[in-house]
Amino acid sequence: MISVIDTIELIKSVFLILSSIFVVLSAIGIIRYKDDLERVLYARIHILGVADVACIIALLVLGEPLLAASYFIFAPFASHAIANAYYYGEEKND
Amino acid sequence: MNLLLLSQYILLGSLAVFAIATIRIATRKTIAMGLVGLSGLSIAVATILILVQNIYNIGFCRDIAFALVILGPVGTIAFSKVLRG
Repeated sequence: MISVIDTIELIKSVFLILSSIFVVLSAIGIIRYKDDLERVLYARIHILGVADVACIIALLVLGEPLLAASYFIFAPFASHAIANAYYYGEEKND
Repeated sequence: MNLLLLSQYILLGSLAVFAIATIRIATRKTIAMGLVGLSGLSIAVATILILVQNIYNIGFCRDIAFALVILGPVGTIAFSKVLRG
């Protein structure tokens, strides 16, 4: 019984460390590109999706499935709204 | 030290780095960059609050995290509608 609990804790720790690696990689990627690069906003939205999924996995492991599910539903709408507003909007100097 | 607690602290540190990166993105000159940065900052702070609740047993952090997870994307969508015009 103790070994089963240890195995579950080990799996939880592995998932938390994996999600922390992906969060650090997305933090590097989101500040890597210069602002004068053409259409860099879409790349940043894409990188933000990696961090979103890593945080969703971390929330699931930490025992908050309601938070993870609600963010899993809301995050694509928010990303699409930003990209849609940038495509059809008035900002052209980015 | 417990392995799960150690991994939680590692995730806390990496989320702090990510929060600093998103604040730097949010202070760029265009509005869309601010939206991207704040969208990332809201989920980072929500996950940090859940971690703090798990590590230090502070119960109300979960309510703040839930409010952030709900209101962050809603505010982003609303401001995007304004930005589109």
